[in-house]
Amino acid sequence: MKKLTLVLSVFVVLAMLLAACQPAATPAPEKPAEPTKAPEKPAEPTKAPEKPPEVSAAVNKEVCSGKTIKFLTIQPHNVAAQNLQTWFQEVSGATVELIVVPYDNVIEKAVLDVTSGANEVDVVEYWYPGLGTLVESNVLENLDQWYVDNAGWLKADDFFPTYFDTFTKIGNSRYGIPYDGDMHILWYYKPLLEKYNLKPPATWDEYLNVCKTITEGEKGAAYGCAIMGAKIPLILIGTYLNRLGSYGGSFFDANGKPVINSPEAVAALEGLVEQSKYALPTASAVAFDEALGGWFTGKVGMVEFWTDLGSMTDDPTASKIVGQWGVVPLPKGPGDKGKVVASVNAGFGVGVSTGSKNKACAFEFLKFTADPETAKRYNTVVGGIDPVRKSTLEDPKYIEFVGKEVADAIREAHKNAVAWPTSALWFKLQEPLNDNLSLALTGQKTPKQALDDTQKAWEDLLK
Amino acid sequence: MNATIEKYTPKLMVLPTFVILLIISLVPLIYVLGISFTDSTISKPFNDFIWFENYKKALTDEVFGDSLVNTLIFAFVVTTIQTFLGFVLAFAMQRERKLSGVLRTLALLPLFTPPVAIAMIWRLIYDPNQGMLNYYLVKWGLTNAPIAFLGDKTLAFPSIMLADIWQWTPFCFLLCLAALQSLPRDPYEAAMVDGASAWYVFKRLTLPMVAPQVIVIFLFRFLIALKVFDLIYMLTFGGPGNTTQVASFYIYRVSFKQFQTGYGGALSILVLILISVLATLLTKGRELLLKRVE
Repeated sequence: MKKLTLVLSVFVVLAMLLAACQPAATPAPEKPAEPTKAPEKPAEPTKAPEKPPEVSAAVNKEVCSGKTIKFLTIQPHNVAAQNLQTWFQEVSGATVELIVVPYDNVIEKAVLDVTSGANEVDVVEYWYPGLGTLVESNVLENLDQWYVDNAGWLKADDFFPTYFDTFTKIGNSRYGIPYDGDMHILWYYKPLLEKYNLKPPATWDEYLNVCKTITEGEKGAAYGCAIMGAKIPLILIGTYLNRLGSYGGSFFDANGKPVINSPEAVAALEGLVEQSKYALPTASAVAFDEALGGWFTGKVGMVEFWTDLGSMTDDPTASKIVGQWGVVPLPKGPGDKGKVVASVNAGFGVGVSTGSKNKACAFEFLKFTADPETAKRYNTVVGGIDPVRKSTLEDPKYIEFVGKEVADAIREAHKNAVAWPTSALWFKLQEPLNDNLSLALTGQKTPKQALDDTQKAWEDLLK
Repeated sequence: MNATIEKYTPKLMVLPTFVILLIISLVPLIYVLGISFTDSTISKPFNDFIWFENYKKALTDEVFGDSLVNTLIFAFVVTTIQTFLGFVLAFAMQRERKLSGVLRTLALLPLFTPPVAIAMIWRLIYDPNQGMLNYYLVKWGLTNAPIAFLGDKTLAFPSIMLADIWQWTPFCFLLCLAALQSLPRDPYEAAMVDGASAWYVFKRLTLPMVAPQVIVIFLFRFLIALKVFDLIYMLTFGGPGNTTQVASFYIYRVSFKQFQTGYGGALSILVLILISVLATLLTKGRELLLKRVE
């Protein structure tokens, strides 16, 4: 026993020495970025341009020929990434290898790749709320000069303002390009609504009524709505934000102070909990796959989903409800503060890893991905990538691909888009919110209690 | 000279193994112990030495406390059932019969299946809308509406336990089978000559002789079950609420979702201490039990 105590003591002393001898790192940022408000000023370039901007996005074969670059992408975008892989290989002579990870693991994979020194990844597709974390961890190359050098063909003002700053900018610098614009809109299955003489809902009260009427009428054969409430931040917080924004609530006020237990926020969660009682069973276990399973088989009347659902639904190999759907903006919240919003749930940017071993070619890949002509190509094939450029949304080929109804809904949605925070602290903050939303959804806490607890947790974390 | 060589040769032979073990086990342990005294994040290892702040925080962290309780309940329940089922199966299959080889191989299949595949299989089985289980429950009139096994706060944890029992019972079966087949045959022959009944033979011969090994099997499996992660990650992500959150999954969330590696390190050390204490207690318990059996 004495020996054991001695050995343990030696370990503890060694560990404490190890910890104490490390140099102090730079302090963490004190408060998160304002979540729902886009910065007013465009990014200021850090340096004056030394050469005229590139007028063409043509890939420089010389720097890529014979090289191999690795593109970190998410599983739901695998098909789109394969397209980019093929197209880029054709024009560059490079080999592109894909590293495909689950959508909720992409930030940790990117951070670990650089911080561990593995440096396998050259180009990173990142979920935009993780941008602050990536920048704080020095994972992404600063692109200020790149934006200046490529201004000629890049046409940065063609990016939707909703996405441009939110997906790429931390402080006054940019670290990526917008790649996938992901907003939620409300999809409905026409035959189910028509069966009960219901119209697509314009308010959340109407939404509840439609959902309840169909669910009670169908007696288990179908459900009025599918609510994605699985305990995964992207899923559950996204579903909540659809309501929070439209009820007039937000995560933080204009000064960055948490206001997650505001009356509007509580009312939004109460609405979600009430709606979930009539949703595809059981909201707390429904994620993409479950919601899509119900939707494609005609078992679900309505689903809040991303803008590419139409093209997926019209694929007869996957869906039984081809051509039988409609789409409208998300419902409006109640009261004076109620409005129609479109939550930017998901949404991805692409940047170059600081650990890239083939940086020159990685930048060529970035250029190729940002090229408006490439964007039109990947936005008009099934692959889960939604437009980030205004020109793509107005492109007749794109409108033909998704249908006028969807293009109109996307255009409308951009008027009131609400985004997630991108501060480096967000990944700490989202966990208590995710926990408490799930506890409210399963009835283990009241909505008020859940959001009061979240508010307290956030205040503690931001101290 | 020869005496010196003879004295040091065994130690030198062991040295490479010792060094490798030291590197792969102690160095990471010291590293984790080190960061547990700091306010580290994933990009800032050893950021600010804060003494025991992470440990203080852990001791007042309700979610961590709940996850530890969940871990212990999970490990105890699944290990007890798996050891019992494994022993029953092994006892039934210990004698060579027709197709016994095929049956043994079939029984071992879950053990050879990757955990991710097992989780996917059970996720499909439990699916409320297209899952096999709900299909038959509704078809046979056992329930009016499909049940969301993984979304229900009371059913989610037992559902994960069931998947784990399916996955790990073969492990206990395999070890129990080996234990039963290693028992000496003489006492059985003597009992047969004396005309002892099957129940008497089981109670007075098999059980006392095999008990030490079965307790070790229970101990091994219990320690493995304390580290459950894959099924939780794949099936419920710790939800609904925190009902299926276990310690390893919480540590993962803190370290790799919130990137608080310092705090995650402190939680890991606390879990390590808990497991060490439990292992010591169980080993002592085993020794006491064996004395009683003898």
